[in-house]
Amino acid sequence: MAASTTGGAAAEKPPPATGGSGRTLRSLTKNPIIERVISLREGSIIVVTIITAIYFSANTSSFFTGDNFKTLLPYFAPFAILAAGEIFVMILGEIDLSIAAMYLFAPILFYKLNSSLGLGLVPSVIVALLCCMAVGALNGFFVAVVGINSFVATLAMLFTFEGLALIVSHGTPVSTPGGQQPLDTFGKVFGGGTYAELIWAVAIIAILQVVLTFTRWGLYTVAIGSNKLGAAEAGVKVAAVTIRNFMLCSLTAGLAGIFDAVRSGTVQPDPSGPNEYLFLAVAAAVIGGTLLTGGSGTVVGALIGALFLGVLKDGLILQGVNANYLLFYTGIAIFIAMTANVFVGRVRRGHSGSG
Amino acid sequence: MCSSGACAGGTAEVADANPPSIEPVVPPRSAPDDVLRVEHISKRFGPVTALRDVNLHLKKGEVLGLLGDNGAGKSTLIKIIAGFQKQDAGTMTLHGQPYEPKSVDDARAKGVDTVFQDLALIDELSVYHNLYLRRERLLKPFPILANRQMKREARTALDEIGINIPRIDVAVARLSGGQRQAIAVARSTVGSDADIILLDEPLAAMGAKEGAQILDLVARLKAEGKVSIIMILHNYVHVLQACDRVSMIQDGAIALDKPTSETSVEELTDIVVNEYRRAREETHAQEEKSALSKGKFQRPSA
Repeated sequence: MAASTTGGAAAEKPPPATGGSGRTLRSLTKNPIIERVISLREGSIIVVTIITAIYFSANTSSFFTGDNFKTLLPYFAPFAILAAGEIFVMILGEIDLSIAAMYLFAPILFYKLNSSLGLGLVPSVIVALLCCMAVGALNGFFVAVVGINSFVATLAMLFTFEGLALIVSHGTPVSTPGGQQPLDTFGKVFGGGTYAELIWAVAIIAILQVVLTFTRWGLYTVAIGSNKLGAAEAGVKVAAVTIRNFMLCSLTAGLAGIFDAVRSGTVQPDPSGPNEYLFLAVAAAVIGGTLLTGGSGTVVGALIGALFLGVLKDGLILQGVNANYLLFYTGIAIFIAMTANVFVGRVRRGHSGSG
Repeated sequence: MCSSGACAGGTAEVADANPPSIEPVVPPRSAPDDVLRVEHISKRFGPVTALRDVNLHLKKGEVLGLLGDNGAGKSTLIKIIAGFQKQDAGTMTLHGQPYEPKSVDDARAKGVDTVFQDLALIDELSVYHNLYLRRERLLKPFPILANRQMKREARTALDEIGINIPRIDVAVARLSGGQRQAIAVARSTVGSDADIILLDEPLAAMGAKEGAQILDLVARLKAEGKVSIIMILHNYVHVLQACDRVSMIQDGAIALDKPTSETSVEELTDIVVNEYRRAREETHAQEEKSALSKGKFQRPSA
């Protein structure tokens, strides 16, 4: 009762603390440049990544060097490629856990096709990737046609193909065809060259961002993620788009797997690494501004999200942080980055809402 | 159902009046200038009969109001005509040709466009992307969206039909309910060659002012003379004001089909009130029967 009698007076008062802090933040972000960066979907994580990089540069003399950039590359290029495909599935409001299996299975298949069947290097890559796309199509079929939840369907696919990878390879590591020193053109292009993965990552992300923003495919992907029934009623072929996106996701995962196998020179039939990459790729996508709930996302954000994770890992290693602490710090850093993301996102909506 | 209040007024008098005789099923009717004919359509969902035997026709340039209680089968009928669902039995003809839409796309290609009740708008997409969804303009020969062209054309088209949206490059999530509905209705005319438009409750959840804007829009579309419209409405005043003819669905069949000039709020109300009374009497009769049989209940003197 007391609450209801004072309710009238309380309503007259200015909004509580949250509104106040919002105002201070708003005055801080009056600067047109800052405002512009924030108005980008990826804006917040760009800011967070730059701050992280500045912090490490200031504290570690060896951070801001060309050599270190080369060390940094494998820490983010593969995740960026994995995340780029995953984002197309995440915007649909689905998730693909089987990318870890594709990442593991593609190089093993590539090796088998090349060494056992005697197929050429490039044809082996192409056939291996086509197989990945077939698995992606199967994922899409189970999700869009059969109606299994994507988490469950792709989890089953993850186990199936990681298992298959172990069966086919007998659990034995082998040398990657075309991945041995000195590298020929194939090895340099498909992941072995210093900047090969970076160039692939940037190219894939540029192409997929264009597809997402400027083509029907991208438009329908956002439409399905935002309002599946509405999109279907408007005539969007939901099942076809879903299957296509899962195929794309498996393709990029297989590609990243082959790149990493060529770069390291070994095909490692061990699911633990790929499983960690899966989570890092999803983390990169989410940190980059793609919602797990679907309807919204950016491929460029994946690159920046992956870069953030890479900078963090590399910076921590350079600072001499005990290897046992790396995961712990990564977890904390993701919390901080995501909280900053939500905060900046609120400011952004405040801005665009009034503008 | 009686959200408008239109059906509240007549109740007292109607109780004594003779119930107007309703034919349980209106037989197929037609006019020489029909664009669409729907004959003997039925549809079941498992044990539920949504449509029993529906006959409907739509003349060129006509606005037909479709009335009916919740669950009477209005939306199912619209979805069948729209190509979103398929009837179990019955035939449809469009411009005198057999009409069997395989999908919403197919129906749209044949000139039948629909604004669904749950608003097939995509919150995250901009106004102009929503307007052009599934008929995007492309920068031929590239598969790239011609966003600038769509924006320009959308602006012109919206101005033409008198929809005032300050910015068409914002996500529709930012628009008011009325603006969203206006965009949903405009979707069926902008960049489309539709000559039949189906509107499933275009005034649902809308204030008086916003509703009036949508009815104005319908009137303008009618005045242009290019399209014929079937519109599901709940408010009888709106039906009489905006439609040329009214069809009422009861229990999965058309129970009334009249030009609006020959009917009135009272007649429409009577039909519904009688329907309610019949339903209530049936329930009462059952209750009394079971109560009497248990001997706990004395029937009150009339």
